[in-house]
Amino acid sequence: MIVVTTDLIPGREIVETLGLVRGNTVRSRHALRVVAAVFKQFFGGEVHEYTKLLAETREQALDRMLAEARAQGADAVVGVRFASSEISTAAAEFMAYGTAVKLAPKR
Amino acid sequence: MSPEEREPSADELLAMAYADGELGAAARRDFEARLANEPALVREVAEHLRLDVLARSAAGPEPADFEWKRLSQDTLQRGGLGLGWTLLLVGALALLAWTGWTVAVSDLDLAAKLALAAVGLGVVLVGGFTLRARLATLHLDPYRDIER
Repeated sequence: MIVVTTDLIPGREIVETLGLVRGNTVRSRHALRVVAAVFKQFFGGEVHEYTKLLAETREQALDRMLAEARAQGADAVVGVRFASSEISTAAAEFMAYGTAVKLAPKR
Repeated sequence: MSPEEREPSADELLAMAYADGELGAAARRDFEARLANEPALVREVAEHLRLDVLARSAAGPEPADFEWKRLSQDTLQRGGLGLGWTLLLVGALALLAWTGWTVAVSDLDLAAKLALAAVGLGVVLVGGFTLRARLATLHLDPYRDIER
């Protein structure tokens, strides 16, 4: 499965647009990690607890989007975007979305 | 022959194909029916997903990572943090116990004491069973090893 942020894929032709596919998730770290993160925020620098939280959330949202694309029989997802919002102070929400398409070699 | 050298079983190949989204609709439905009853298959799929996710998000270490690792093995750092966490947790539990005892021996109405006890027990039960569910599914979460 090709996943790109562009609207076109060089060397390939979009022969069918299957529609919007998206995946989202909300994740949090356990309470002790949140306490550790609060201490790190106090002194500055990278807060690894939150870096990890966002990375986990991003990958899961992406996988859910890809699962939806596979279920539709897509060859690729184009125009992929990520969106995030705050559900609560200790949780991260990520949404990945794009357009599922079928491809053929360019004539 | 080591486990890495042997040929994968039919179920392992199916789990790989399922994790990679390569099964057709009918085969996928059949496999999902088996997943509902076979925990070993669920673990097999989770392991493939975990490896896929890790491979996709693999990133080389940064200079600061080496220093974080060195510090995490430093006796003073480990001892200080360990003592700090222990004091925090023991203190929090002691405060909770003291609050419970203070309420129990206070002049509050019996009905209010029973209501507070119900709330406390409810929090413990909901928290305990939420933790139980998390621990039961922790090893099936392919995203928990991602670092950045």
